[in-house]
Order: sequence, then structure tokens, then C-alpha cells
Amino acid sequence: MSTEESDILFKLVAEKYGDRLTPEELEEVKKGVERITEAAEALRKVKTDNWDEPFTVFKPYTKEE
Amino acid sequence: MNVAPDHVFTPIRELGEKIRTGKTSPVDLAETFLDRLERLGPRYNSVVTVTKERALEQARKAEREIERGDYRGPLHGVPYGAKDLLATSGGIPTTWGAAPYRNQTFDQDATVVRKLEEAGAVLAAKLAMIELAGGGGYRQPNASFTGPPRNPWNPDYWTGGSSSGSGAAVAGGFVPFAIGSETWGSILSPANNCGVAGLRPTYGRVSRHGAMALCWTLDKLGPLCLTADDCGLVLEAIAGPDPRDPSTTDRIFTYYADAPTKGFKLAVLTGVTNDVDEEVLANFEKSLKILEKVATIEKIELPDLPYEAITRTILNAESASAFEELIESGRTSELTAPEDHYGLYARTVVLAKDYLKALRLRAVMAKAADEAMSGYDAVVAPARRSPATPVDEEFRRTSPGTAKDLMGAVGNGAGLPSVAVPNGFTGGGLPTGIQFMGRAYSENAILAVARAYQSMTDWHKRHPPGL
Repeated sequence: MSTEESDILFKLVAEKYGDRLTPEELEEVKKGVERITEAAEALRKVKTDNWDEPFTVFKPYTKEE
Repeated sequence: MNVAPDHVFTPIRELGEKIRTGKTSPVDLAETFLDRLERLGPRYNSVVTVTKERALEQARKAEREIERGDYRGPLHGVPYGAKDLLATSGGIPTTWGAAPYRNQTFDQDATVVRKLEEAGAVLAAKLAMIELAGGGGYRQPNASFTGPPRNPWNPDYWTGGSSSGSGAAVAGGFVPFAIGSETWGSILSPANNCGVAGLRPTYGRVSRHGAMALCWTLDKLGPLCLTADDCGLVLEAIAGPDPRDPSTTDRIFTYYADAPTKGFKLAVLTGVTNDVDEEVLANFEKSLKILEKVATIEKIELPDLPYEAITRTILNAESASAFEELIESGRTSELTAPEDHYGLYARTVVLAKDYLKALRLRAVMAKAADEAMSGYDAVVAPARRSPATPVDEEFRRTSPGTAKDLMGAVGNGAGLPSVAVPNGFTGGGLPTGIQFMGRAYSENAILAVARAYQSMTDWHKRHPPGL
């Protein structure tokens, strides 16, 4: 699951930016994507409740007159 | 005319008193530190720009004001250096430590620079830093267009980063204090490696307006000084709400330098010394013995959560957005460290749902940390897991995100303050440090503990030989 997802995401990066990177650099990017998906897997394993909000408060804006 | 050498390595509190009582003058001090910045700064790759003209102008103004009795406080007439990610007007470059931005200028000062000017401090230099504050995922000291930052205690070793010049300039006596920034480790790391005090304030305590953004919800600005007491003095000057930075808190910070010096309750997180360098561990254990004279120390545990994954995912997602223009331009290839050429690309594929999950778990983490720390003045830990590493070696064999850093992940992820002070040396003469991390907005509590520790030790009174 994680490897498959990581491969797909890496292909996306390689498709978009691969022409600027050497094969060695692309290999490092692949490892970077793997670490990102591993971290995501760790997050997904933690159960949250529906009402657990992101810890970022959005405040509607109006310029003070 | 230069002042006596003993004005170098003099804490702000004493320096300010000498200025106030006319025992030294702001212009003399500015000339002394400008000379050291110009003469010694390049040896350690710690300076990007010496702001001589602006410094002398500010120093003359301070001198006139003090002579006519208009004394602003302990920073009045005291020179300082700013990490080169803080915008400065007047044609002074703000390079972010990165070659693609080496000629970048702004037409305004960062709020911190403005607030320090209002306090009468004298901007003497823009200090070297790791390119993009480490945003590219660097693994080696040679990651600044100004060269690898060298440690005043031993130039063959690294200063730590990303506020590298800020740490080195204070440790080397090139400035009495400096401003650094921390997203994850960038104030505590140079404080540890260079043997100075470094304060990471609570997130939102200090305005980031005019500072390079690496990660909007993790970036903090704070001081590096000779003592914890000095950190309190500087924080009071730079803290406060700012309409130009919506993250700033309305809570006013007033520094209580006369807080109690004993009767503290301290905690050590279980597992926080696992895999720590032997000499760092030995110095930490000696520090705990000293602290037992003024504190009770208990072990506490945090609930099982993926702390590193939470903070790392937030950092990855936000940095990919903050540097979107640089990534799309392909100019990362102009960065100094080879790993910074490609480090940002992987971060462009963090999924939105995972970033949001990290933000949701950040709330869980913040509540868990606050609950665990409730009733304690500070959580104590080594400032870093190891002392400075050689300047020509990778300081991490693995890429960011693979090493455990519980204090860094929780402290930065939950926006908690922490102050690091020196607590000894290795056999090779490199400093080690201890950190005191507190609950949100508890800077006075952690500074009181750090001051008490420094009143019982003299590590902060030792300075690099030959400087």
C-alpha cells in the first residue's frame, strides 16, 4: 500500500521535474517521497474524531475603516 | 577610539549599565564590534554584511539621546546582529543565506529590526545562515553561499544551524547579542554548538513580519545571547502583537528578572536521553545534580503519538508552498549544498489530507504536552543529542525525518518556548548545552530556571581561546 502510493507519488515528481535532475538526484527524491509516505502512514494510523479540527483558526477578514 | 577589551563578552545587562552611567559610549562600542565583525567575522564565515554606516548612525543617535537624559533601556546603544532572513531597508541585502537571493533587497525593516531600533539597539551586521534556513533539507555545514559556518571554539567544527552566524557571532564576541529563527532546531542547535544562550519563544510571541517564511505555522524568531538573563531582556524588546503578523498573540510579555531562584519543579521526558552522545549525557546528568539544589526533578511520559511525523509533515507541506516559486524556477540548482538542489521536490507531493491530518493531530499533541507539563516549571533535556560535528562532514548520515527528536518535534510542533544554555564541554573542548522547555507563554518560568542554573555554574563565563 505504502510502497505503491510512494511509487505513484514519485512518478508524479519525476514526470514534472525529472528533466532537471540527475539519476542520482532522482534516486534521492524517491527516498524523500518514501519518507513522506511513511510519515503519512503514521498519521493515518491515529484515530481522530469527526469534530477534531485542524489546529489553525480561520478568521474572516475585513479592512478596518 | 576603541573601548577596553573587557567590554567584549560582557552581558547586555552589564553593558547597558555601563552605557547608562557613561562608562562607555554607544559609538565606542559600535566601533569595537564593527572592527571585530570586519576582522574576525570572515574567519568563521559568520557575517554576510557589516552594516557599518547604519550602525554608526544609530550609535551616534543613541549617544545624543543618552547624553540628554533620554535613556530607553538596557538595549540602548548596544550593537547586535540579525540573521540574514530579516528584511532591512536602506539597500542592505537580505540574502536568506542562498545564492539565488544574494542581491535581494527590501524597502522596509522586519518588525523585529524596527522594534530593536525603537529600543535603541544598534544593527551592526546581517549574519550568515544556512540557505533557506535549512528548508532544502541540508545534511552538511557547507550549505551557505558564504561558506561553511565555523565554530569559534574550534574552526574545524560546525556552528550548528540554521542560525549559524547568530551563534558564532555571540560566541566569538563579534556582537553582544543576535537574532535567530527556529522552525525546528535552528536556535537551539547553534546555541548548543557555540556555547551560548538561545531562546526559542512561544509561537506567536514575536512578529515574523519581514522574516523569510520557511513554514508559517512553525517559524519563530528569538535571541541568542551570552546569558539567559540577556535573552529575557531582548525578548521583552521584540515581543508583542503586530497587525502585520496575524499569528502574534495579544498577551504582553514583561520580563521578570527577579523571579524566584529556587523551589522549581522540573521534569525529564522518558526516553529523551536515548541514543544521546556519551559526553552530552554525562554533562546532562551532572547538570541534573546541580539543579537538584534548587528543584525537584521527576520523570514524565507523553502519550504514544507520531510526534515527529506530525511536525515533519507540516514542515514538508508548508515549505513546498513557501518556496513554490523557487522550486518551479529550477533555481534550487544554484544552492550551495548538493542535497538542497533536489530536497524540496519530494515535498511537492504531500497530500492535502495528510497535511490536514497533521494539523488535526497537532491539536491532540499540544493538549497532551500541556497536560503532561502542567505543574512543572520546565521539562529538562540536552539541548542537542551531540556536540558540534566537523565542518567538512555530514552532520546527519540520514535525511531529515529519520532521526528521533522528541523535544524538537513536540516543542516546535506545539509552539512551546525553550531556552538552551551551556552546561559543559567535551574532552575536545566543544560546548554542550541543556534546554529548559516550558508550557506555552511560560518564558518567564523557563528563564528563571535557566538563570538559577547559570548562577550555580560558570560555563557561560568561558569564551573561545584567542578571541
